[in-house]
Amino acid sequence: MSKTKKQREALERTGVLLALIGGAVFAGFPVLWMLASSFKSNTEIFEAPPRFITEGFSFAAYASILSDPTKMRFFINSYVVALAVTGLTLVVALFAAYAFSRFDFPFKRTINIVIVSVQAVPPITLLVPYFGLVVFLRMFNTYQGLILTYMVFTLPYAIIMLTGYFNTLPRELDEAVRVDGGGPMTALWRILVPVSVPGIVSVGIYTFMIAWNEYLFALTLTKTQDMRTVPIGIQLLMGQHSYQWNEMMAISILGCIPILILYIFFQRYFMSGMTAGAVK
Amino acid sequence: MSKDALSRRGLLAAVAGVAAVTMVAGCGGGSTGGGNASPGGEVTIEFAQWWEPELPAGSLRQMMDQFEQENPGIKVKLLSGPYASTKEQVVAGAAAGTMSDVVGLDGAWISDFAKQGSIADLGKLMADAGYDKTQLSSEVKVNDATYMIPVLNFVYPMFSNTDLLQKAGIAKAPSNRTEFTAAAKAVSNLGNAKGWVLPLSLEAPNGVQNDVMSWAWASGQSMLKDGKPDLTNQDIKGTVEYVKSLWDDGVIAPGSFTMKEQDKVEEFTNGRVGMMIDSLAHINTIREKNPNLKFQVSSVPSVDGFAGKRGIPFASWGIGVSENSAHKAEAWKLIQFLMSEKANAKLSTQANAFPGNSKATPDFSGKDALFKEAFDIYKSGYPANEFVGLPVAEQLMRTFDEQFQKTLSGSQPVDQMLENTQNAWIKQF
Amino acid sequence: MVLLTPKTLDAPAEVAARAKKKRNLVPFAFLSPTIILLVILMLIPIVMVIGYSLMDNVIMKTNPVFAGFNNYVEVLGSEIFRTAVLNTTFFTTVSVGAHLVLGLVFSTLLNSRLLNGATKALFRVIYVLPWLFTVAIIAILWRLLLNPNGVINYVLVTLGITETGAEWLSSPGTALFAVTFINIWAGYPFFMVSLLAGLQGIPRDLYEAARVDGANGLQQFVNITLPQLRPIIVSMAVLDLIWTSQQFALIWMTTGGGPINATEMLSTMTYKMAFSNYQFSLASASAVIILVMSMVLAYFYVRHQKARD
Repeated sequence: MSKTKKQREALERTGVLLALIGGAVFAGFPVLWMLASSFKSNTEIFEAPPRFITEGFSFAAYASILSDPTKMRFFINSYVVALAVTGLTLVVALFAAYAFSRFDFPFKRTINIVIVSVQAVPPITLLVPYFGLVVFLRMFNTYQGLILTYMVFTLPYAIIMLTGYFNTLPRELDEAVRVDGGGPMTALWRILVPVSVPGIVSVGIYTFMIAWNEYLFALTLTKTQDMRTVPIGIQLLMGQHSYQWNEMMAISILGCIPILILYIFFQRYFMSGMTAGAVK
Repeated sequence: MSKDALSRRGLLAAVAGVAAVTMVAGCGGGSTGGGNASPGGEVTIEFAQWWEPELPAGSLRQMMDQFEQENPGIKVKLLSGPYASTKEQVVAGAAAGTMSDVVGLDGAWISDFAKQGSIADLGKLMADAGYDKTQLSSEVKVNDATYMIPVLNFVYPMFSNTDLLQKAGIAKAPSNRTEFTAAAKAVSNLGNAKGWVLPLSLEAPNGVQNDVMSWAWASGQSMLKDGKPDLTNQDIKGTVEYVKSLWDDGVIAPGSFTMKEQDKVEEFTNGRVGMMIDSLAHINTIREKNPNLKFQVSSVPSVDGFAGKRGIPFASWGIGVSENSAHKAEAWKLIQFLMSEKANAKLSTQANAFPGNSKATPDFSGKDALFKEAFDIYKSGYPANEFVGLPVAEQLMRTFDEQFQKTLSGSQPVDQMLENTQNAWIKQF
Repeated sequence: MVLLTPKTLDAPAEVAARAKKKRNLVPFAFLSPTIILLVILMLIPIVMVIGYSLMDNVIMKTNPVFAGFNNYVEVLGSEIFRTAVLNTTFFTTVSVGAHLVLGLVFSTLLNSRLLNGATKALFRVIYVLPWLFTVAIIAILWRLLLNPNGVINYVLVTLGITETGAEWLSSPGTALFAVTFINIWAGYPFFMVSLLAGLQGIPRDLYEAARVDGANGLQQFVNITLPQLRPIIVSMAVLDLIWTSQQFALIWMTTGGGPINATEMLSTMTYKMAFSNYQFSLASASAVIILVMSMVLAYFYVRHQKARD
């Protein structure tokens, strides 16, 4: 007995949906629990047996964060730093990726190895010498210091991924431009960049996340409250003797909302068919 | 000009632009170092600590304003950081020469910072200022030089859940080990609670100090002999065996091996453990989080029949001066202010701690009655914390902790554990 | 422009040679911002760390003296180093493997033709959630969830899967699995998002052709999707191996390397050397060892790339 095509497709669709729902529980439940906890009182968070919604349901944790100018300043700092890092990383990495993807030059392999492996040094051991360097460069407690530091973390990934995307694009694409008399700049910005948008967006999101969530260097390279970022704000809620559980959860939720909006906005670039045609 | 040339110029411009950003950033502003003297002769000193977020909002700043008023020409800038990262920041700051003039310190770090040369000898500053140090309740010394003064002391008495003990048929908080075991078993037998809670996280191994060694100190025992480790003595062996017996009896709340001080409090606040050894600073937190909880404080139980003075474990908010501060005299003035009878009493009232100035008395009016009770316990005993001033104190606790975890999970006897720990400790002295 | 200064009398060979030289400089011009930044902010500190690793004890001592390879001998010879290598290997390979599998499965599902756009958009948002939080909060959240009295034990006991709750993070038998699981949860969206982007680049007609040839879904996946995604997969796997092998904050804030040393990694070991023992030279030696191991990995990766070209 053979099923009709329609029946089989319906069956497949159900399978895919069930798998997706299962995965969504794995991915989403902890976050849902975080959201629920942010509305609880500090005691209810530790209640046994645990409940999703409790009598103490309130927006108090959110109110206390939103009404605190110091904490709002953390958000502004995080945006400034993360956006600058994302923009600069993408530009610098596009240049480098273009060089790696389209040119042969001496020391290419060595430079590549260095770029891949520099990230392997545990940051914690770099802390002391790095700190001395930043002070020497007079970048201590400045946005520049944080931005350039994060670029060091994000560049290797961005370069490697963008080189990978460029490598998947046929060389004929940009070589046609060269034949027409266009230079490498034209080939990069007019041809390669437009068709690599999905890759660039995913690298951009990654870069933003790294800059947004980094803690250790953000703390060490800044010293005044007006330069500090959200992860430090979260850590400040972990006191010596007790934690402000609900506020920690609330500040994380607040922090992720803008990123989520950004992601939803850029999501259309992942949608099927948007770019597949352009490559050909 | 050809298209090629154009785009090449574009490339060069773009590259130059990015390089310029790098350079500008490299030469950009940003203040370095500690305090600066302005032309008007006014001195700004920096005070780095983790206390501000722990105190009522704005209260530390208020005290600084008062200090500035009393000391014209000195301004104080408060720099607050998370407690868990303070140590790394001091080490890195000292290495790069950007450490703040005045720094909040923990007794467990002193020996190492002194060795690094990052904190200044306060003895000299006191002498220069002609300070009368008899009013200080204690000083933390390394090789006979004073490096830290405890501003506030947080003592660790035994907290017990009155309702749970009553339900279990225990009328009064236990005062010796036999009574404690009995009480812990009785509470555990109730079914939905455990008798005691023992945080042994390796991330913050201070449970070894507050929850394990405190049993020894409460009975007047010592883990040191002439300043050197002496873990294999009979007293310490007895204490460790006692704690292990509680573990074997199953009266300790689950999750010990990764539990931190903050988790311990949550367990107690939610009525899931009958007793805990904990900082007095928590009285308010517990009341706030669970207003219905009835609890009491008492001294940590001693060995049966002990009649001597009981050592009561404590942790401090200590203070010190950076060695590379350009304004040491002004920095000392700030410490002097914080240690003055009035300011110290006020600070201790706000922090629920006991004052570091022996003449200061916290203001008990409007305070929890338990606070006064604990003050009496404190006064009748003596503050005991043998880890303060030891080299790599945190690592000592961690080594002890690892060995103790092995013993608790049954892979080595107590004797061997103490011998291993003793050997590891000796290497650090 | 200087580059275009006409020299009409040049022999053709000379022109070609100069053109080649110019061409040789172009890639370096493109690379210069990267090189400047990495040399100043990364290579200098790394060289300093290498220098530290050869001294007897830096930072804590005013006048450290040269110690040769003593620190390396001490690190490599210690028992805890072997434990840390084993734990790190398990943690890293299992994490990266799971990230890859989950990333592939989820991105393929999310790219399915069978679902409409809105459904896919919704799931895409849910699936990316673990990625949006800083490590500190991930650690705190999972400590809450995995608490002996926490919601996961409650669910397991209620559903009758286990009789009593487990001490996931604090029993030596399960701690390593627990932190690995948390790391898998926190890290897969990174693969998923990159693969999702990569999937858009695969030409539709390849699938059309395969369907005409009668290939089923699985065959299409193995014969088209995987080979097409291979460059991305290899790059990400290498990077993830390097990142995961030095994951510190997550482990430190959940277990602190314990219980006993069940979750001791190279990163936590190095941290303890530096900030608990104040042995910065030992810690630096350990960092250099980790660096060398990664460079070997990087070398094979680059060679693989070259072979593919």
